[in-house]
Amino acid sequence: MLTTPKMTLMQELIAGSSREELIWLSGYLAGVVAQGAPAYANPAAAHPAPVLSTPAAATHPAAPEATATPVKVTIAYGTETGNAKKLATDFAARAKKKGIQTKLVGLEQYRLNDLAKEEYFLTVISTQGDGEPPAAAKKFYDHIHRGEVKVEKMKFGVLALGDTAYPLFCKAGEDVDQQLHNIGGQRLLELQKCDTDYETEAGHWFDRVLQQLHSPARETTAPGVTTAQPFVAARPTGKKIYTGTILTNVNLNDRGSGKQTHHLEIAAEGVEYAPGDSLGIVPENPAIVVEAILALTGADASRPFPHRQEEWPLAQLLARKLNIVYLPERVVKKYAAVVKQDIPETKIGLLDLLKIYPVKDVAQFHAVVGILEPIAPRLYSISSSPEAHPGEIHLTVARDTFHINEETKYGLCSDGLSQLRQGQTIEFYIHHNSQFRLPAPDADIIMIGPGTGIAPFRSFLAERDARGAAGRNWLFFGDRHFTTDFLYQTEIQDWVKTGVLTRINTAFSRDQVRKVYVQHKMENQSADLFRWLESGAHLYVCGAKEPMSVDVEHTLLDIIRKEGSKTAAQAEHYLEELRETGRYTKDVY
Amino acid sequence: MNDTKNLSSTERIKQKSDGLRGTLAEGLLDELTGAISEDDQALVKFHGMYLQDDRDRREERAEKKLERLFAFMIRLRIPGGFLTPEQYIALHHVAGEHSTGTIKITTRQTIQLHGILKSHARPTIKAFNAVKLDSISACGDVNRNVTCAAHPAQSPIHAQVHSYAARISQMLLPKTKAYYEIWLDQEKLTDKSEEEDPLYEDRYLPRKFKIGIAIPPNNEVDVLTNDLGLIAIIENDVLQGFNVAIGGGLGATHGNSDTYPRLASVIGYVPADDRLFKAIYTIVTIQRDYGNRSDRKLARLKYTLDKYGADWFREEIAQRAGFPLEPARPYVFNERVDYFGWQQNHQGLWYYTLFIESGRVCDSEKLALKTALLEIAQTGKANFRFTTNQGLILADIKKKDKATINGILEKYHLLAHTENASAIRKNSIACVALPTCGLALAESQRYLPTLLTQIEKLLTAHDLDKEAIILRMTGCPNGCGRPYAAEIGFVGTGPGRYNLHLCGDHEGTRLNRIYKESLDEATILKELDVLFWLYKKERITGERFGDFALRQKWYKA
Ligand code: SRM
Ligand SMILES: Cc1cc2nc3c(=O)[nH]c(=O)nc-3n(C[C@H](O)[C@H](O)[C@H](O)COP(=O)(O)OP(=O)(O)OC[C@H]3O[C@@H](n4cnc5c(N)ncnc54)[C@H](O)[C@@H]3O)c2cc1C
Ligand SMILES: Cc1cc2nc3c(=O)[nH]c(=O)nc-3n(C[C@H](O)[C@H](O)[C@H](O)COP(=O)(O)O)c2cc1C
Ligand code: SF4
Repeated sequence: MLTTPKMTLMQELIAGSSREELIWLSGYLAGVVAQGAPAYANPAAAHPAPVLSTPAAATHPAAPEATATPVKVTIAYGTETGNAKKLATDFAARAKKKGIQTKLVGLEQYRLNDLAKEEYFLTVISTQGDGEPPAAAKKFYDHIHRGEVKVEKMKFGVLALGDTAYPLFCKAGEDVDQQLHNIGGQRLLELQKCDTDYETEAGHWFDRVLQQLHSPARETTAPGVTTAQPFVAARPTGKKIYTGTILTNVNLNDRGSGKQTHHLEIAAEGVEYAPGDSLGIVPENPAIVVEAILALTGADASRPFPHRQEEWPLAQLLARKLNIVYLPERVVKKYAAVVKQDIPETKIGLLDLLKIYPVKDVAQFHAVVGILEPIAPRLYSISSSPEAHPGEIHLTVARDTFHINEETKYGLCSDGLSQLRQGQTIEFYIHHNSQFRLPAPDADIIMIGPGTGIAPFRSFLAERDARGAAGRNWLFFGDRHFTTDFLYQTEIQDWVKTGVLTRINTAFSRDQVRKVYVQHKMENQSADLFRWLESGAHLYVCGAKEPMSVDVEHTLLDIIRKEGSKTAAQAEHYLEELRETGRYTKDVY
Repeated sequence: MNDTKNLSSTERIKQKSDGLRGTLAEGLLDELTGAISEDDQALVKFHGMYLQDDRDRREERAEKKLERLFAFMIRLRIPGGFLTPEQYIALHHVAGEHSTGTIKITTRQTIQLHGILKSHARPTIKAFNAVKLDSISACGDVNRNVTCAAHPAQSPIHAQVHSYAARISQMLLPKTKAYYEIWLDQEKLTDKSEEEDPLYEDRYLPRKFKIGIAIPPNNEVDVLTNDLGLIAIIENDVLQGFNVAIGGGLGATHGNSDTYPRLASVIGYVPADDRLFKAIYTIVTIQRDYGNRSDRKLARLKYTLDKYGADWFREEIAQRAGFPLEPARPYVFNERVDYFGWQQNHQGLWYYTLFIESGRVCDSEKLALKTALLEIAQTGKANFRFTTNQGLILADIKKKDKATINGILEKYHLLAHTENASAIRKNSIACVALPTCGLALAESQRYLPTLLTQIEKLLTAHDLDKEAIILRMTGCPNGCGRPYAAEIGFVGTGPGRYNLHLCGDHEGTRLNRIYKESLDEATILKELDVLFWLYKKERITGERFGDFALRQKWYKA
């Protein structure tokens, strides 16, 4: 009926219109027919609803959809502290709004067999540890790296969350992007790396995703060299850095203890945090080491060096920005290349390197400075509660002690913190952890936190106490000796007296011949512990990843098997469900 | 009969304690604290232990958010203060494994160990039990460790007299098996009738009860400071019987004039046969029934005696026992000493009395005392006899073994240590006080040694250094070091301050009196300087310092 040009015009119009627009159009045309007059002569006549003000259209005018070919999209996230999950969830909501059939899934739950079938696969993944994927994404990460699967059908996009303060920025995201490509996937769009202030960039990334879903451009052949790079460069880090003043610093361990665990109270007005969050610090290198390096190499302390779009005098750079105390293998490798000597690939301090494998001249040393990595932040679980300790942040810091051929050495950051005196100030940021949160006030919680693992639970208990939360609280604590190492003993006793702590079990490993740990105490309590879980209790583990959190998990599975008379597989499943429903969470290191 | 209406809280605790069990077993399992409940603290004394804490560490631990450094002090029951070498070796090792390591010889001839953590309490008692040592009734409202003249050379029949200590102690033990249940994992009794206790019933005594036995003319046991003192009456080496003295006790409270130290009054004589035991048992029951159970400060036998009078008491004994006490026999006390150095008894056995300052057996950089004593015990050639002056006698050594023991004493410089100690130091006592004693107001055993060094200088200056003046110090008015029965007594009133008591006699038959109050060290030394000067200048030859002081009326009017 219509002439071809008219037809194409109409098709374009339809294709170019959102659902709302089409609905309006059809109504409008009906109106036109009814009026029996050429509408365009007087469009206002029909009082059209102001289409462009409908929210969907308003926020994403540049995101029309292919109503022609409806797409199925999977949005998978890998998270440690909840950021990736939060974003992925927002994205899924937006996609659904657009009528896109969307599956939102955590990578720990993702069925790896589905991978080959995926058409549109979006991943939001953070980086943890020293450039590692989040624990929850490990299975997926290893699976794609084994390279046994092929994903020819797949069009993928990766949003990497990270922190430019760490040496390997967004490493896990990079790997996933690269590897999906290697196993045959096509990039729907380039890898997007985001720093800690990821919201806007992430938003734009998803706009581009929606665009691509509509009219896929040919795959960008350029591998993950992302458009984000310039942004990142422009803002070294978007983190909010606070300054706090030390109010108190006491070693909680008594005389004669083999440990030093410092309780720090920091005055920090107006810092937003919630129980479960931790505090991040970038430690400074010891002045003596820096001086020694300068002396050894004869380098000019005041020579300006570029670093992240800023200029720093060499001495400052070495003292405050670059990791010199304990270089990872990869840096040692680069060093070897610079000094053209073969060096065994081990971790070692820069000073030792320079002593054993000297640089030829100052120029060569400058080259070495070029390969050094930034000092990685250290995190400390916050042990105070915003409700109970307003205007303050408390930390529970174990002075990290180790020995190198008989000589006692201390960890860089924890040593610095343990030495802080009243009135001194420190710079820090808050690392939010929306995965490690108190449940509803009336829910019961079981807290397993030996050693410094007690920190977030002190926060939990103080918070619940201050808010008068009705839920029951059960704490498992352990350390070496009852008399010297019972961290926060008197506070815990008060919580027991006032009924805030419903139960407490302690394990002091070295007070008897046979070593006793928290998991042994859990075993003793297995019946009650399972009863608590059955009645909906939330279980938290904090402290040493190895071996504590591993042993605790094994014990948990045993308890579930024994008390719930389940098979090993059923127990695994039971625990998995707790994890999925947010009732089993760990903050381990 | 005692007022049953307003009973003191301790009385209630005892009565509802289910034979001194309370919740001790549960308390030992409490993982949250090193302490036990307050009620159980009262009960655990009957098992020979006190819950204490290291008072030096309170503030620092509080800052560290750690509770007080709680630990038990255990006091053994050693009637007459006798240990075999095997028992001493065991004691040495228990001290090392479970306590501070220091072995404290007490003023009642027994041993205390401090700093025993809750988790170590059972192992400690088990280890002692293995060598037939216990701590039953070493504390609490029961008969305490029975003391007796320690030195066998005092009399050919010392052994016979000494044997009464153990027999009396045995007779007056409570019947409850709680001790064995709680500390030695023995089966719980099903038939509680085995525990029927006609003597203590379910209320025990209103207060601690102490018995001591003296062999005149030496009164080194301070027999008159006991609730019940027995003075052996020996006629040409045959034991006849005992004079009975009641109402001794030294405890007092600053500012409470109703409380006072008192020496026992001799109320009669009883022959050394069944009647002796009957009489003792009866006296205990009278105190059980008439002692004050509403005010613990006035609950000792001395107050009961002063309330009802000696005649009433004699009458009550006669009625209950079925026979009267005979009139007291004559006796004399003319000394109150430990016989330092080597002595020989009538059988030719050898004895070495060692000087141990404040009864504290430990190794210091100057003196390896503890090591030496272990080595001696390991020879198996000497028994260990403790004295009520916190002293130690290496005892019953055969002639042929004397050289061996002497050699060890020589090797560890203990001969010189004993010989060189000044007369006043050898005749001094200091109670435990800080840091473990919860009642201490001032230092005592940690302080007296240095104060004595100053006092020795004064004595030498006045050429009195050979005078065996009896000097005693306590950290509070409770009198654990029997300071009221000394020629020079120091009683702590507050940090660094002491009341100075004078005019007590040398033999322990006359209490001293307050001379000046709350003196600091400087004032103490200034005072003594003048007193010694006058004593040297104006004493009658042979006149003891205590008697001279009285003649000079050196007491607060
Ligand atoms: C270890 C010892 C002092 C020493 O350095 O040798 C001692 C130490 C204590 N005596 Fe004593 N008394 C010791 C002999 C005495 C004596 C002397 C005697 O019995 O010859 C007396 C004075 C005589 C008397 O009983 O009146 C004595 C009168 C007291 C009193 C006051 C009693 C009274 O009637 O007021 C108390 C406090 C109390 O019982 O309330 C007391 C309490 C204590 C306590 C248990 C403090 C407490 O109740 O918490 C002391 C423990 C300190 C520690 O850390 O070890 N102690 N106590 C003596 C242990 C004797 C034994 O082996 O049984
Ligand atoms: C989420 C999270 C929460 C945390 N919460 C807490 C908390 O509440 N309390 C707490 O105390 N810690 C906590 N930590 C651990 C903390 O972040 C630090 O890892 C810890 O304090 C060690 O850092 P450091 O700079 O003191 O030691 P580093 O200097 O980083 O050294 C760490 C280790 O590296 C090795 N090493 C370092 N230098 C050398 C060298 N020159 N030669 C040989 N070996 C060397 C040693 O084995 C040493 O133990 C947490 C960690 C995470 C991830
Ligand atoms: C212990 C730890 C180690 C981290 N290591 C890195 C790293 O090596 N590289 C990086 O880019 N970011 C690193 N980060 C920063 C996180 O990736 C960043 O905070 C991200 O927002 C966390 O997202 P999530 O909450 O989804 O896990 C680390 C964070 C933590 C807590
Ligand atoms: S006299 Fe006082 S301070 Fe000394 S031990 Fe006895 S109760 Fe403690």
